[in-house]
Amino acid sequence: MPLGSSRAVFAQAGDAGAGKAVYERKCALCHGEKGDGKGPATELLVPRPRDFTSGLYKIRSTLNKTPTDQDIFNVVTNGMPGTSMPDWKVLPERDRWNLVAYIKAFAGDKLKDAPKKVDLPKEVASSAESLKRGKEMFEAIECNKCHGNEGRADGPSRPELKDEWGQPVAPANLAKRWTFRGGKDRKEIATRLAVGVLGTPMPAFLEAVEKPEDIWHVTNYVISLGEEPKFATLVTVTATKDAIPDDPAAEFWSKVPPSYLPLMGQVIIDPRNFNPSIDLVTVRGAWNEREIVFQLTWDDPTESKPDAAKKIFADAIALQFPPKITPGPERPYFLMGDDSDAVYLLRWEQGKGVMEATANGPAKIKAIAGGEVNGKIVYKDGRYRLVMRRALAATGDDRPTFQPGVFTPVAFQAWDGGEGETGVRMSLTSWYYLHLEEPQSNRRFVVPPVVALLTLAAMVLVVRAANRRR
Amino acid sequence: MRKTLAVVGIVTVAAAAAFVVGGRDVATAQGGGTVEVEVKYNGAPVVEKLKVNKDTQKCGTEAVIEKVVVGGNKGLAHAVASVPAAKGGKAVKGVLDQKGCKFVPHVVVMSPGELEIKNSDDILHNIHTYSTANAAINKAQPKFKKTMTEKFEKPEVIKVTCDVHSWMLGWIAVTPGPAAVTDANGVAKITDVPAGKQKVEVWHETLGKQEKDVDVKAGQTTKVTFEMKGK
Repeated sequence: MPLGSSRAVFAQAGDAGAGKAVYERKCALCHGEKGDGKGPATELLVPRPRDFTSGLYKIRSTLNKTPTDQDIFNVVTNGMPGTSMPDWKVLPERDRWNLVAYIKAFAGDKLKDAPKKVDLPKEVASSAESLKRGKEMFEAIECNKCHGNEGRADGPSRPELKDEWGQPVAPANLAKRWTFRGGKDRKEIATRLAVGVLGTPMPAFLEAVEKPEDIWHVTNYVISLGEEPKFATLVTVTATKDAIPDDPAAEFWSKVPPSYLPLMGQVIIDPRNFNPSIDLVTVRGAWNEREIVFQLTWDDPTESKPDAAKKIFADAIALQFPPKITPGPERPYFLMGDDSDAVYLLRWEQGKGVMEATANGPAKIKAIAGGEVNGKIVYKDGRYRLVMRRALAATGDDRPTFQPGVFTPVAFQAWDGGEGETGVRMSLTSWYYLHLEEPQSNRRFVVPPVVALLTLAAMVLVVRAANRRR
Repeated sequence: MRKTLAVVGIVTVAAAAAFVVGGRDVATAQGGGTVEVEVKYNGAPVVEKLKVNKDTQKCGTEAVIEKVVVGGNKGLAHAVASVPAAKGGKAVKGVLDQKGCKFVPHVVVMSPGELEIKNSDDILHNIHTYSTANAAINKAQPKFKKTMTEKFEKPEVIKVTCDVHSWMLGWIAVTPGPAAVTDANGVAKITDVPAGKQKVEVWHETLGKQEKDVDVKAGQTTKVTFEMKGK
């Protein structure tokens, strides 16, 4: 090794002794005092915290088992999206390097081999051509076996996947790269593809593509599978004069602007859902003079076949509204109402279809007799698309009437029955506001020209009057 | 200066080692005998079956996982019989195929060195090894990569799996000495075993390990029987 580089490594090397103090304050709760991944909080976490004594690091940029110090530093700094590992940017950089040194020491001589950093082929920028080749290679190397045809983690091998410790492990949803454990950047993705994710079924593909640059084409294709959403603060329902189609896949819906809403696990009532499966729902809405129609899109890796013995339940989703839309800040309890204030639900459940219901809390859901909602659902390649429609006006005390220009509270709940979600084990949102866009009337084409003409006429009159007086 | 000395030292030691090993090689080739190992098992075969949900054209619709295979005369198949202490001898190159979503052979015996890994299935497999002495690997082998080569330099029995097809299970036995795998009748013939007292070892993936002393005679076949016990 040239002296210069060894000095550079030394400059980054932290002080394990100093790292110990930081570790015991910040890391031991999950990773354990001995670094064996058995801290007091471990039982609650999926995936489990890293056992540093194993010397096995998922996220690395090396061809062998040993990660670079920078690899460990990056994980400490950026955290691991989709897991309980937060980013530790709050710690001074020096502390983080010291942690790296201390953490590595837990593995003893298991990390004795020097890291062999991967040499990625020359970067290829994304282009139509690159995406085409990427898709071709994605199919040839059969990423779909685990990640699914559209990358939504629904491949046929999904139920069989286990990690190094025999625990079930889910493939990444490639359409949501912002949830990748090792980061969402191009180079990070290419590196994971090239060297694999240690301790998981994800193998190294560096030598398993036809041409070296295919690593970049596949990376570009993976990036193209899903755009990071800008979360909505307001759910807008588009006004239309046309008929609104039932088919969730209809062309119509692609023209309706989407609202992306993040869902969180329900952690207020036992059993709590610390690792919710559904973390995003895309909402599109349209209304005309008669009805209001919602299209909901969300990823679910399995179209569940309910079987209580296997802890597989029905997939479900619900939109929640107050039963009466009143001005002012008063709203029912967001978690499906309570004994004193009910909520109104537009709900779809596998096997039961769509229904209108009222709820006084998650355990007290009651279908509304003679409900008038109908809808259609499509499941394909790890994604549900649902259309639910209802008349704008409603009768009865438990059903709201939707009005344009009124801010209507709305909330969402979702259940992935295939992941054991049922009852209060759900993911949900707090209250948002729904806004029915005012219809754009033809008046805008009539009024301005008329005003312009009148103004012109008035000017002409004024000018004439002035001339006459002279 | 100190560095140069160290290098010279290492080179000298390596040369000496090579000389010693080379010398033993010659001895083995001159005076080898054969050990016929018969491995018996009194228990029942252990077979698991699994419904296959993909690649059924290549894998069939049912995967059969044979954990203990008992053949005629209570012979135990897929056991590795080896003489670990007898280093040198003929180098055996390992070849492992993935065919019909199975590792063929189920147990491959090889000398430390290279293993040729084939994919005869025209679908994606991944070679995922569980080892401690050698580097553990997890490499994809897509349909167009018909063959690849991996190095296993240290003696060890290594589990191999494929995550795409979770039922696929195989073993790579890296043995420095002569070795063989028992056939369907539980018989393995280890050839080129140096004459004299030798320790013969038998290993099975679920039934464990046993050892016996055998007096090997040059140019002759010595028989030895092992009785494996259920765990």
